[in-house]
Order: sequence, then C-alpha cells, then structure tokens
Amino acid sequence: MGSDFLYMLGVVAVGWAITVGMRSLPFLIFAGRRRDIPQQVERFGAVVSPVIIAALIVYSYSGLQWRTAWPYLAGALTVAVHLWKGSPLASITAGTVLYMCLVSCGCMTAESEMEYGMAHPLIQMTEKGMKFQDRYVTPQQAVKELERRRVPHDATIHILVDDENAYRRASLVFRGMLAKAGYTRSVLITEKRASSSSAIQPDTPTPPNQHPPTAPHDGGSRQK
Amino acid sequence: MSRKSSPLAPRERRAVVRRAFFDSIPVLMGYTTMGFVAGVLLAARAGISHATLWGFLTSALCVSGTYSFAIVQPVAERVPVAVIALMVASVNFRYAFYGFTMLGKWKGVPFLRKLFLVHMLTDENYALESACRYRSPAAHLLYCLSVSAMNFLYWVSGVTAGAFAVAVLQGAMDPDLLRRRTNGMEFAMVALFLVIFTDQMKGFLKNGK
Repeated sequence: MGSDFLYMLGVVAVGWAITVGMRSLPFLIFAGRRRDIPQQVERFGAVVSPVIIAALIVYSYSGLQWRTAWPYLAGALTVAVHLWKGSPLASITAGTVLYMCLVSCGCMTAESEMEYGMAHPLIQMTEKGMKFQDRYVTPQQAVKELERRRVPHDATIHILVDDENAYRRASLVFRGMLAKAGYTRSVLITEKRASSSSAIQPDTPTPPNQHPPTAPHDGGSRQK
Repeated sequence: MSRKSSPLAPRERRAVVRRAFFDSIPVLMGYTTMGFVAGVLLAARAGISHATLWGFLTSALCVSGTYSFAIVQPVAERVPVAVIALMVASVNFRYAFYGFTMLGKWKGVPFLRKLFLVHMLTDENYALESACRYRSPAAHLLYCLSVSAMNFLYWVSGVTAGAFAVAVLQGAMDPDLLRRRTNGMEFAMVALFLVIFTDQMKGFLKNGK
C-alpha cells in the first residue's frame, strides 16, 4: 500500500508538472518580452497537435477490438453527432453509450473481460480430456475453436492444467498443434496460479500484458 | 499597456460573473458527466486504494480530461512514472499552444492569479476565454477568473463524485459485477480524442478557406 501511495503521488506530481508546464510554456518563453509571437510557432502548433491527436486515436483503437467493425461504428457516430450538434457532451455520450450497448450485446468483449480470461483460461486439460470452456473437445477442435473466435495469433494462449507434470506429454503435443496453427505463444498454468492471479487484485484486470491473452471475439465467452 | 484601468463597479462585477456563469452552463453539463465517468473508471479499473482521494487530487491538480482518462490503464498496469510522464506530455501537447492567444490579454496579471488561469487553461476554458467579448482588461480578467473557478468546481466535483460512488458501491456490490457494468466506458476517451480531432479539423478547414 505504501508503495502504491508513493506511485500515485508520482503520477499526480508528474501530471501536474507536465500539464501546467505545457500550458505555461508560452508565458515562460515570452516572459518580459514584448515581441510578437512568430507566425511559424502558431502554424507549427496548428499542424502538430492534430497529428498527435490522430496518433492517439490510432493508438487507443489498437486497445479496442479493431479487427471488428464495431469500434469504428461507435467512432463514426461520435464524429457524426459532433458535426451535427457541435456539442462534445452529446457526441461523447452518444458514442460511448453505443459502444457500451455493443459490448453488452455481445458484439465485442470488453478489454477488462479479455484480460480476465487469463484467470479463467478458455482451454483446460482435465483427466477426462480437453475442455474448451465448458465443452469437452478434441485438441483439433480446440484449435479450430480458437480460429473460429478469431483469437489473434500473437495472443498468449493459456492452458489450465491441475498438475503440470500429469499432462506433460499431452500438453506438448497440443502446444505443437497450436504452434502449427500459428499460435506460437502458449503457456500452461495451474489452478493455483490462476486463482492467485485473480486473488491478488480482485478488482482490477489482471496485470500487464501487451496482447490480451485469450481474446474471444464474441460475447459467448462470458465467464463468471 | 496600462493595467491601471478603473476597478469595476459592484454592479458591473455582478454582471460579469453572471455572464460567466451562464456561459459556463454547457461546461457544467460536460465536466460533471465526463468527470464522473473519469472518476468511475479511475476507481473501478485502476486498482488503487483510497480512490476518492486520488480522484480528488488528480482532478484538482491536473484539470485535464485527457489526463484523467489516459492514466487509468497505465496505472492499473503500474507502468513506470517516467512512461506516464511521456504519455501525459504527448496527450497534452496541444495545451502548449493555447497560451499564445492569451499572452497579450493576460499581461500584467498578478502571479498567483495568472498561475490559476494557466492551471485551468483547458480546451473548454480556452474556448470560452478566447471568445469573450469584454474589452476592458479588468472585466476580461474577472470573466476569465470566474469561468475558470466555476469550471474547476465542476470538474473536481464530477471526478470526486464518480470515484466516491464506486468506492461506496464496491462495498455493496460484487466488484466483478461492477466491472462488468462499466464495460465499454473506456470508449469515452477515444470519443474525446475524436471530438478534439474533429474540432481541430474544422478549424483547419475554416482557416484554409
């Protein structure tokens, strides 16, 4: 908790310093000078800031499910409402509400749930055979199922086993099949580790992972 | 530039403040709701204790919607502060250009008041202040200060209320369910960027003609 406190203090301090620093930059540069602002400076700003914002839009889209059409639909609605009404509140609300509806309709899986999938992996190896979510499947079917859900190839596939040693051979074969299908990243996790990763931070998405682990692209994978 | 303009009569002062309040009503709607969402996200997603306190501090010290939304995910992942600094700098780069328009208008304003005005130089404040029609420097300054103070209150109360609401709900509600209820809210940040970009493009096209 203590380190968290310091960390947040750092985040706030840095945020304050940079935000206010940015805002006061012109005042610092032209302090005590009567000179007019060079035209180039203003033109530079007029060009650079839209570029930065555009980059931010692209970047934040990469965190959404950009392989589907839905985030763009919500984005298009936002821009359309903004062009029509000219009110940021109306447009942001419209876009966000549409996006939330799409998520809750199961068109997409929200970011937090994809990360949640790590604590509750899709694929599980049990004594009776391989399980994909709640169904027993053959390894081939499991790979097909991943592809059907358009889980990206660079995603890490988490395979839940109750004992790493018990399924060593079976898991090796299965991971070989995954690699052949393009899923080169797969890890075995045991029940204990899976539940502890969800127990450490019960109210936050599981930790840093550039690529959302198992990312089912439909809402049928809601796990409780 | 003579700053020694006659101080405003009480009636004039009241008129300016009233004007500032009516002008700030759209911002009231925007800041309280957006702030509320930002507070909810911070408390529900960032995984920090005392989220209400941090909601208050972040909103009071960094009055910037983009900052409040942008830090949620990195904080949840406990990204190093230096990386967050880089991110905030790029998100808020545009602010460096707002001041240029206000340079002449705020010349000679006492330091603390100027610091507050600069601290509050958000997109919305900039829009209001640069559109303000008061000619007399005293009236203009009073208008800017009132608008800034009001918008500051809206934003801080919005964020704090959002974070507080989550803190209260978390005790009563399954955190998992709470996270599911806020699913998709993170799109608000993308929408905010889109809105800023659309405005910039509109300005661009207008100037080009």
